[in-house]
Amino acid sequence: MKDFKRRDFLKYAGAGVATILVGCNSNSNGDDEDGDSTGSNSGPAGGDDLPSGGETETLHFTITDAMKEMITHEPNNPGAGPAECYFWVFQEERFPADSPGPQIFAVEGDRIEVKVTNALDGPHAFFIPGPSQAAPPMVDTGPIAPGETVSVIFEAGAAGTYLYHDNMNAPVNRVMGLHGAFVVMPRKAVAGHKLTPYANPSPGVQQLFDDFGSTPWWPGLAWEEGDPSTDTPPARQHVWLCHQASPVLFAEVGEFAQANPGVDFPADRFVALFLGDPFINTSNDARTDVNASFPVKTTGFNRKPHFFTINGQSGFFAHHNPAIVPMYRVGEPCVVRILNAGLWLHSMHLHANHFYVTCVNNVPQENPLWLDVFNVFPMDSVDYTIPFMRPPDIPNQRGIGRADAGVVIQSGGTRTWPPVREFEIHQPAIGTLATSFDGTRQSDLAARQSPLCYPMHDHSEPSQTSQGGNYNCGLIAGVYFLGDRNTMMDFPMEDEFQMMIDFGRRVAETGPPPGGWPPEPDS
Amino acid sequence: MALPKSGTRIRRKKISGMQAMWTKMWDPPKDSPETPELVAATNPVPEFMASLALGSVSTPQTVERILLNNLPNDQTVTWDGLKDLSFMVFDDSDFAPTGAFPGATIRVPRGVIFHCQTQGKGPPPHTIHWHGIEPTPMNDGVGHCSMEIGDYLYQWQPNFIGTYFYHCHRNTVQHFEFGLYGMLLVEPPDAYDQRDPAQPFYAGGYPRRTAANTSAFPQFPGFISGHPTLGVGNAADDGVGDPHAFTVPYDAEALWVLDDRDSVWSDLASNAKAFYPGGAVTNDGHLAAVVDRPGVNDQFPHGFFHDFNADYWYVTGVPVPAARGGTATINPSGPRPTGGGLPGGLIPPNLNSGVTGMQVAVDARVNETILVRCLNAAYNSITVTLPMDAVVIAFDGRALGVPPFARYNHAFLLRAGTPYHLSTARRFDLLLRSATPVSGTATVQFFDTRGQRVAATDPVLVTARIPIEIR
Repeated sequence: MKDFKRRDFLKYAGAGVATILVGCNSNSNGDDEDGDSTGSNSGPAGGDDLPSGGETETLHFTITDAMKEMITHEPNNPGAGPAECYFWVFQEERFPADSPGPQIFAVEGDRIEVKVTNALDGPHAFFIPGPSQAAPPMVDTGPIAPGETVSVIFEAGAAGTYLYHDNMNAPVNRVMGLHGAFVVMPRKAVAGHKLTPYANPSPGVQQLFDDFGSTPWWPGLAWEEGDPSTDTPPARQHVWLCHQASPVLFAEVGEFAQANPGVDFPADRFVALFLGDPFINTSNDARTDVNASFPVKTTGFNRKPHFFTINGQSGFFAHHNPAIVPMYRVGEPCVVRILNAGLWLHSMHLHANHFYVTCVNNVPQENPLWLDVFNVFPMDSVDYTIPFMRPPDIPNQRGIGRADAGVVIQSGGTRTWPPVREFEIHQPAIGTLATSFDGTRQSDLAARQSPLCYPMHDHSEPSQTSQGGNYNCGLIAGVYFLGDRNTMMDFPMEDEFQMMIDFGRRVAETGPPPGGWPPEPDS
Repeated sequence: MALPKSGTRIRRKKISGMQAMWTKMWDPPKDSPETPELVAATNPVPEFMASLALGSVSTPQTVERILLNNLPNDQTVTWDGLKDLSFMVFDDSDFAPTGAFPGATIRVPRGVIFHCQTQGKGPPPHTIHWHGIEPTPMNDGVGHCSMEIGDYLYQWQPNFIGTYFYHCHRNTVQHFEFGLYGMLLVEPPDAYDQRDPAQPFYAGGYPRRTAANTSAFPQFPGFISGHPTLGVGNAADDGVGDPHAFTVPYDAEALWVLDDRDSVWSDLASNAKAFYPGGAVTNDGHLAAVVDRPGVNDQFPHGFFHDFNADYWYVTGVPVPAARGGTATINPSGPRPTGGGLPGGLIPPNLNSGVTGMQVAVDARVNETILVRCLNAAYNSITVTLPMDAVVIAFDGRALGVPPFARYNHAFLLRAGTPYHLSTARRFDLLLRSATPVSGTATVQFFDTRGQRVAATDPVLVTARIPIEIR
């Protein structure tokens, strides 16, 4: 394996999101560059080598609750109402509270101690399933009473993607926010082959990873291969943990739990309301309801989910997050591990590249399909392996999906690839002005069409527009092409794009929406 | 609400310094730019359609689409006569000026330069996203990653033969649901070369060919392979080999586009202009506000688009005459409103790029190869179950087992009676063939995406049966 060190893949896997890297001296709060990481240092120093297994990483979780600010339209508009949702959360002591809990990356055989303190009013648990339904769970604390702390030591099991969660009163506690991603990498590649994310890849999956970077149709890097000269990490991978949040129902469950300590909210009632609470016309547009009073919004929202998240973020905040969105060059394949903690099916469509479904529920696929959309059922884990080939339907010499030279354009001088004319276009155009967020000046909204930006979105569309209009509140991410290893290494960089990358790496940093938040509701 | 016992508040992330990106997500620019990197169109299909006297070509070798339009009134009443649904559809000013649901099927040979001259009608902005086609962002038709139109010439070159679709990517939940989509089929490079109706592989009829590797399934005659490693490339990998490399002929073709409608959404959200920044209408009938900061003061009306409850179902525009919980067989050639009103049950050539004979219900002969192209355009998920063995040859415009990508996957047998699951926007291509007569139905079950695999049994909404007759 070229340029591959275990610590590196763990480090890069965690860039920009609350991540625990088991056995590494680099637990990441997302900003490795300016040193404001809050990472603890419980692993062995250095960490360039595979761990001996002698060290134990301790993760200390508190089961608690929080009110989370969600995305919606202009929160300051009259009648818009607070966009917030009550959650139960696994808070690891090194990170601020959030749902989902921090991503945990480990290598097969790592020893991990989980200490879990229950600060809520009823019994809770910490659970990591086994690699299949038939296999015993990796971790199962059983009930943890309020105020109690339970400690479990375990070994990271078979390589794969797991949902750590509270399995009590299923699915209520999990859906209320008590979940996070637990990723186990294989200890090494299969002998004579390149690294895959799997300990026992199927022949087709192994061939795909063997071919990346070494065949004429996948020019560029292997998955295991990074390039320090371009800041390209090896073993590029992301987690997309999908979820659905119902602010009305979650608040009811929270109130019930506080008023009835130790009594479970009935799980069948929770499921019935979450999936089937009757429709309410919540539009305030007079064309949909002549009795609606504009601009005051309807207050009677139902108990179905209104917020759809990836790693706890929606819309703008997911689409412009380098921890969520793969941002690489043509020729830099990556793996996205998708989990669904909720109760709705998602149908995740990627633009710009078809992906291979290389693994479903920790089974490497015997017949990995090459798709642009696939289903992710509740509690499924699905791996999308994205070749990061040039978007193949940009005109080229032969037109057969290969990295041929582009076609000479009509006005001459340049070719269709790289699209240097499109790089120079701004949408909107330079000089498109709007009042700045703080209302003190005019801002230019011009955005350069470079690097190349594409979305990934759930095609089960009700997750997209729950807060109204377009894709900007929904379960959405993206895929961005920053350059091409085979023609133009780096595409021009839009200024705000650089800022997004810089912001995205500081996950703990928060700020108010433009114009500030509305006053806190009365307590 | 004094809810959190912990008192913790999880703050929203910072966006200052990113006003352009924030604004573009909420209110994408509306523009009619020149197509960058423009090259000459080489698509033969519009001229072929004109030669059949189906209409005239506005711009040489260029497809036309206008959005949005309403559907003629005789097609909007539901099968039970209880509702008159609102539709938003594409029209083709050259060949289908009244529009259609689904929109007219675009067929295009692999490797040509495809142009679509697209006009957005009326104030609401639109785009066309060519689902599964992978061009530059400006030609990908996603507003917040480029712009909304206006008037724009989309340009791309289809590189992989197979089944795709196109839809408006603005407020997809409303516009796609209301009918702003159509099928897009990429065919072999010479699919439109044979202009003599008396000859095999005539451009306007059948048989035709599509991409596959059926070397393990010799029951489908006429499969042509190619270079074992390079596939459709030539041996030196500097040109293209046989245009039929890794294709198989088919004698009949059926299009199954599964869709569902929520009539409450149709009633409440029939106005395409409502769900836009500044689109809200006040009680006295005025537009709400001047928007100078989208995402800050845009008076975006709150919708109800998280809550979809299908109550009408369609197969390629043909109503499924069943209420929730029911089962019914479709009748493509029957009179509306319970049938599809398709002449002879066939999709007319002006809605199928000049090709006559595409079916919805399968009606074929023994020892004919039948290609079924299936898209789940419903917001719920489906299973498709066939009364006979089938071979799955492709998903999403990527034929299984075709080199150079043959090392990873392969075509496979789908046994009679085995349900195959497709969530929203998924497609697959199936081959059927029988040496003996078959009289049966394919079964499509629509499931509520809310709660699948949560309870012991999945929530079935409706069951549609599609006739399959092999004589």
